[in-house]
Amino acid sequence: MLVGAESERPHEDATADFLQRMGKLPSGEKILSCIQCGMCSGSCPLGYAMDYTPRRMISALRAGRIEDLYRSDAIWLCVSCFNCTFRCPVGVQITDRLIAGLRVDLLSRGVGVPSELATAFERTARYGNPFGESPKKRDAWTKDAGVDIRVVRDGDSAEVLWWVGCFGSYNKRNQKDSVALARILTALDVDFGILGSDERCSGDLPCSSQGEEGLFYELHQKNMQEFAKRKFKTVLVGDPHAYNAFNKEYPRLGTPLPVRHHTQFLADRAPELRRQMRKEIRMKVTYHDACCLGRRNGEYEAPRIVLETIPGMKLLEMPRNRENALCCGGGGGANWLDSFIWQRTRVPLPMQRVQEAAKTGAEILAVSCPLEIPRFEDAVKSAGLEGRLKVLDVSHMVADGMGLLGGT
Amino acid sequence: MIPREVVVVAEHVAGELSDITLEMLTCAREVAFPLGWHVTCLILVDDPKPFQALPLASDRTLIVTDAPLGSFNPAAYTRVLLHLLKDLSPRLVLLGNTSVGMDLAGTLSLGLGAPVVSGCTRIRGEGERLSFTSKLCGGKLLARTDVGDGLAIALVMPGSYNRELGMVDRVPPVEIRASPVSLEALPVRFLELVEPKTEDVDITKVPILVGAGRGIQSRENLKAVEDLAEALGGAVCATRPVVDQRWLPRTRQVGRSGMTVKPRLYLALGVSGAPEHVEGMKGSDLIVAVNTDPDAPIFETAHYGTTVDVLELLPFLTERIRASRGR
Amino acid sequence: MKIAVILRQVPDVVQELVIAADGRSLAKDELTYITNEGDEHALEEALILKSRHAATVTAVSVGGDEARDALATAVAKGADEALLVSIPLERRGDNHGLAAYLAPAITSGGYDLVLTGVWAADQLDAGLAGLLAVQLSFPYVGGLTAVAVEPAGNRATVHKEFPGGRLGVMEVSLPAVLGIQSAEQPLRYASVSKISQAKRTMQVKEFRGSLPNVEGVHVSRLTKPEASAKADMLQGDASRVAETLVRILRERGLV
Repeated sequence: MLVGAESERPHEDATADFLQRMGKLPSGEKILSCIQCGMCSGSCPLGYAMDYTPRRMISALRAGRIEDLYRSDAIWLCVSCFNCTFRCPVGVQITDRLIAGLRVDLLSRGVGVPSELATAFERTARYGNPFGESPKKRDAWTKDAGVDIRVVRDGDSAEVLWWVGCFGSYNKRNQKDSVALARILTALDVDFGILGSDERCSGDLPCSSQGEEGLFYELHQKNMQEFAKRKFKTVLVGDPHAYNAFNKEYPRLGTPLPVRHHTQFLADRAPELRRQMRKEIRMKVTYHDACCLGRRNGEYEAPRIVLETIPGMKLLEMPRNRENALCCGGGGGANWLDSFIWQRTRVPLPMQRVQEAAKTGAEILAVSCPLEIPRFEDAVKSAGLEGRLKVLDVSHMVADGMGLLGGT
Repeated sequence: MIPREVVVVAEHVAGELSDITLEMLTCAREVAFPLGWHVTCLILVDDPKPFQALPLASDRTLIVTDAPLGSFNPAAYTRVLLHLLKDLSPRLVLLGNTSVGMDLAGTLSLGLGAPVVSGCTRIRGEGERLSFTSKLCGGKLLARTDVGDGLAIALVMPGSYNRELGMVDRVPPVEIRASPVSLEALPVRFLELVEPKTEDVDITKVPILVGAGRGIQSRENLKAVEDLAEALGGAVCATRPVVDQRWLPRTRQVGRSGMTVKPRLYLALGVSGAPEHVEGMKGSDLIVAVNTDPDAPIFETAHYGTTVDVLELLPFLTERIRASRGR
Repeated sequence: MKIAVILRQVPDVVQELVIAADGRSLAKDELTYITNEGDEHALEEALILKSRHAATVTAVSVGGDEARDALATAVAKGADEALLVSIPLERRGDNHGLAAYLAPAITSGGYDLVLTGVWAADQLDAGLAGLLAVQLSFPYVGGLTAVAVEPAGNRATVHKEFPGGRLGVMEVSLPAVLGIQSAEQPLRYASVSKISQAKRTMQVKEFRGSLPNVEGVHVSRLTKPEASAKADMLQGDASRVAETLVRILRERGLV
């Protein structure tokens, strides 16, 4: 629900303020180059439920009517899937400037902020994760991993610094995939380590695309301090959202990082993976392109290369694949806003997606983003596909093929 | 040795004695009996009739009457109590750790120069010394306090004592007095009591309850909780934080400031077990708690527990119950 | 109308609580603090009143360094003034001492309303609100879920919670201390950048009196309750647990 706190008196020309602020951000000024073609609204998976679609938002801005946008629910319906931005012929940064910018304003006023999101931000600010779990317990998952997982402390070094992420560390379901990846890295003889309790949210998921810029900058600062204390060649991430933060946002702030998503890291080592495969997995698999890995960062092939190292696997494609993939609906903070969003839309996105996956004849829906696991697993149950479609992370499948999964 | 007195300050709403009063009487007797002390149940009220024939577990019932005492008014109560308690000079005064008792504690403590211990779950008399056990920090800490001689005031946590022992098989001697002080020009006035809207389910009457705590994480997960309640033939209730977030109406709130329930089955889902909630459901016949934190205080109250993720458990549980019932 | 809101810092229970070597207090280095939830509701209620009347809200934060963060958040949410009351760790849970210590600071402010939570997670003696009211010679009512102030500003109508979901409607003469159980609206959000800005620009007044020689109660011993001492823990994964549970329910005739 929206927190209906009293607002301060709006600025005389809030629209002009907004546009001026946009102009100072990279590609922010492109908002004004919009040609009103409607490509964005047409490609938005929830556009039908928005009273102000992206195109209409820009139209409203041109008419000086930002107040209308502040009152609209549409701003909170965006799931950050990046479809609009990807297709805009003029390069308007709709997701990261327009929507994010409007959210910054609403968060700043404290008005109309869904309380579930506010709680996630407060927890991230305080505990470094949106779940409100103790930072000291961040690496508790490593105890039962079955392999040695080194914590790289202040002054230490590792060739690969593995950024596990909030979901991979705290979410019980995702921890299993963290364990799988740890076992793969060990089998590949990679010199890797984690930050342990010094790791905190990378900032992308709850922050930059959701308008809590202040929180993002704070996290960025703290994270860079932690990175500076260690020596490493590569930053490995399991979460595409962290990948996007480190690959796109951190360079913008002057601190680029040599980052690889786990599917890229494994794809680079495909021959070695093939050599180590012990099992045949005779299943039909379809891969769901994560928005943060795919549309946002152009990585479509690595996960497929990795899946193809598994003997017996048959890879099928959904009609909406690669840059046309349908978002799981969890980005942009939407993971916390499902109640809010589903009250205002028709069939939830994850339900649509799993139905699409099942229609290909696949038995496994392979994913590469931790959010997708619980979202798609729930959707499989709601769509009555239990027993017909399994949702598995790429790392889980690779570990399975390599015979590393016993005892989880 | 002069027998000392334990005074229980009774709480009542709409002519009925609150459960906490009976618990305090049980507590008072437990302390007083081995030491040969006396227990007085002190009732401040406008009309003594509903209370003068109650078989309370005290050695005497002292009813003090005046019109402004009909409904709870902290200003009226403290004025009367300060005067009365100075006169009675008890060793121990018991108040409820409730919205009534907490309004009185500070004024009485400073006015009588007596220490006050809140959140008490156990009180013991050991010779001249009184020893109090309290829960702090959401039930994660236990504090022990000792008070030597002189008056001590304690706030008893609801759910700590057996209220059934607060009533016995005979009516104690009853004394009715008028208020010893004038209750004119009070800075607080009681205007009216508003009952909760009753269009919703009365959870105090439902034999199977499924309690939703913060651990269910979001409003949309309530649907799974409701499915389970329906499969069980029961109703959904909630902890205060869940109600504060408006995920469920206040009529579903279980706890200190909500309802006290005693169903045959209470399934606590994602409930940490903070004392304020536990006091509202402690009396349930069978309590099963689901919480991923093995140290969650709820496990001290529950009969059965599991650290399995509630969101994982719900679908399995609902399905098996439906199957069991042949639905 | 002038409103003061008292924000106490209490131990954050998300972090594991460690008992100090003396067996009577919490170990300092393991402790982190968070604003008492009841006091956050008091702040929200104050800000709601501010939006309805021409009122100023003074946030009074009690604690150590972390109290400054609480003040910045309060200012970011809309508080007009910030007052820091430093108090050593050992005295923080003692409301008698705190009330005596705070009283002169509050009196000098000439407030019509003093709002705070009804109780704090770490308190052992009586609630701060009631004790402070006595020190200030103000009336006190607690357990409130709504506050309305008369236009003339000399009376407030409040809703006091009673068990069973009942509400008592009461009238209180001002100035008064009010114990807020929960605000009329969910707590508003303060963005991190607003809080950072408040930290940089806010002017914090500090109050330093002499600590009164008053102690509410003396803790003899602090322990942790035996974890999971009572419940019979069901083993296995979700599916196994569900099976076991249904069997237990069936045995009891509940299913």
